[in-house]
Amino acid sequence: MQIDIFLFGMLIANFLMVAAKRISALINGFCLQALLLFLATLILAIRSKNIELYIVAFLLFLLKVVLVPYFLRRIVKRIKVEENLGLFVNSALSLFLVLIFTYMAYLFASTFMPVGESVNGISCVISLSVMMTGVFMMISRIKALTQIIGLLVIENGLFVFAAAVSGGMPFIVEIAIFFDVFVCVIILGIFVYRINRLFTHIDVNKLRNLKG
Amino acid sequence: MQLFYILALPLLLMLVPVFIKNNRVIGIINAVGYFSLLLPALTLARNLASGGSGISFFNFFYVDSLSAFFILTTAVVGFASSLYSIDYIAKETAHGVISGKKAKIYYALFNLFLFSMFFALTVNNLGMLWAAIEMTTLASAFLVGFYNTGESVEAAWKYIIICSVGIAIALFGTILFYYALSGSGTNSLNWTDMAMAAKKLDPRVLKIAFLFILVGYGTKAGVAPMHTWLPDAHSQALTPISALLSAVLLKTALYAILRFAIIVNKCAGEQYCGNLFIFFGLLSLGISAGFVILQKDIKRLLAYSSIEHIGVVLVGFGISGVLGIYGALMHVFNHAAAKSLMFFCAGNILKNYKTTNMNVIRGLGKVLPFTGVVAILGAFALSGSPPFSLFISEIMILAAAFSKGSYIVCALFIIFLSVAFAAIVYNLSRVVFGKKPEGMVVEGEALSTKLAFVFLFVLICVLGVKIPAFFNDILTAAGKVVSGA
Repeated sequence: MQIDIFLFGMLIANFLMVAAKRISALINGFCLQALLLFLATLILAIRSKNIELYIVAFLLFLLKVVLVPYFLRRIVKRIKVEENLGLFVNSALSLFLVLIFTYMAYLFASTFMPVGESVNGISCVISLSVMMTGVFMMISRIKALTQIIGLLVIENGLFVFAAAVSGGMPFIVEIAIFFDVFVCVIILGIFVYRINRLFTHIDVNKLRNLKG
Repeated sequence: MQLFYILALPLLLMLVPVFIKNNRVIGIINAVGYFSLLLPALTLARNLASGGSGISFFNFFYVDSLSAFFILTTAVVGFASSLYSIDYIAKETAHGVISGKKAKIYYALFNLFLFSMFFALTVNNLGMLWAAIEMTTLASAFLVGFYNTGESVEAAWKYIIICSVGIAIALFGTILFYYALSGSGTNSLNWTDMAMAAKKLDPRVLKIAFLFILVGYGTKAGVAPMHTWLPDAHSQALTPISALLSAVLLKTALYAILRFAIIVNKCAGEQYCGNLFIFFGLLSLGISAGFVILQKDIKRLLAYSSIEHIGVVLVGFGISGVLGIYGALMHVFNHAAAKSLMFFCAGNILKNYKTTNMNVIRGLGKVLPFTGVVAILGAFALSGSPPFSLFISEIMILAAAFSKGSYIVCALFIIFLSVAFAAIVYNLSRVVFGKKPEGMVVEGEALSTKLAFVFLFVLICVLGVKIPAFFNDILTAAGKVVSGA
């Protein structure tokens, strides 16, 4: 029961993120979502008394709640980019779209997953909705940093989805995914610096030298 | 045993730049290392071809004829590319384009990149396969953005973002496969377990999951319409890396798709994956044929031609049957050899002419006679004319389609291939013939570069005339794995 509350929290964090107009608000939203994901995993670990789950929860906290937001905030400070995210789709419409995503997730889950038997319905729907929101954020915001956060949000969704349908991925795979995600964020961060230095902006819609 | 050598060698070679200063020496050690990899890779493939079932270690590594064949392809291109790198990097450093420190980073990343591909081809666990393929993106990202210009950084950014999203979709598909298997009572992500239990799985879930796999890994494999990162990354990467990206990286992603397709085929029949393969294959052929005509940039031309050849391979697997699969697998190898050869030619052109614009480049035959001859013959080989090996594999796929009665597929296949043929041969012949630009400083070709050319050229010639018995065995055995027999 408690886990469901945290999952609903993740959905709310989703809405917070798409409604955000400034980079710092977006990072805070992501931080909140990661924190709720960590708490949900921790409760699962305490319940099942599984050492591996404790480690996963700990890594989740370290990476997504502490290191990644710290790293992103540092980038924002260092490159002195303007706070505005640059929305292709305004906040109100974005919120509405995320609502539609959630409904689509519900339809998908109720059609293809035998919800109730082996699959946790709520976490399944929420994870799909989180994934779609991540993709949506990547394509509807101008600043390159949003694409990094979008990728991380997709990964959050995948994590919950794996837990919902099959009780989580095997331990070693989970660790490998964490490692990849972390390296990916670092590399993308470095490229954000480079883009800022070469173009003096980080607006992805202006990256269009290569065509055809 | 060979397996551990293949995995350990790139890791050991990664350490070489730490201890040695001169980057030409590093390059030579690198090339010698990859030369020593050829024989173990070949032995592994031959042993598996004659020995039947796959070998497995600690339930973590699993290598059968299919992976051995892809390992062999990767080893061949890896060797050619390391040979070509020696002079390429040494000259770039000498001209001050890149610093000595960056040259060292290049060799470290080169080996990491190859390691991640070998790793992807040998793991049993489908989750680890995913992680390994994501690693290939991360290892090659800096190699795409290596020159640190606006264009290369833009290409690298698009490359990581698009491929990471693609691969996230593939992870979703993988989780669905995992879910399907856990529904049948086994909790495992190992490919061997899944293939064993394939018949008991829910075909409805697998079909949906395979769509995600195809779109996800297809992004990485350069399948149209998810190919948008490919021309940018291939044209901006360092030339030896462009060859690796086009020749083997795309094939590694294709290998992942095949692994999942084998499971789906066992469970839901061959029709489902086959139709999807043919659809996306023809789409790739059509879109790339359009773009190949329009290209002015030689590296982008070659990049679009990679999409075309992925299309050919997909059509081959889609037609399936013994001949279709055999042709598709052989085409994987042939394309790898021919495409790296052409990228190396493009690299030499870029070095001497300082441009990749084909409207400006003229008289390659006079400037660099060796490269010129290889480039024009390579253009014919790449566009599938006899007596080169790509002709053989394309005709096999065509024959398979014809005998199966898929006449529309045949017709479209021929039309798109002829368009690409015309565009590639026309463009390359304009580049090779014509007047030498005046006042041009010619750098010439180093021995190691020529060796790389000869090595690849001999491969596409020999296989075009006669397929050696041992290679035939390897292909047949790999084909058997794909068809699930």
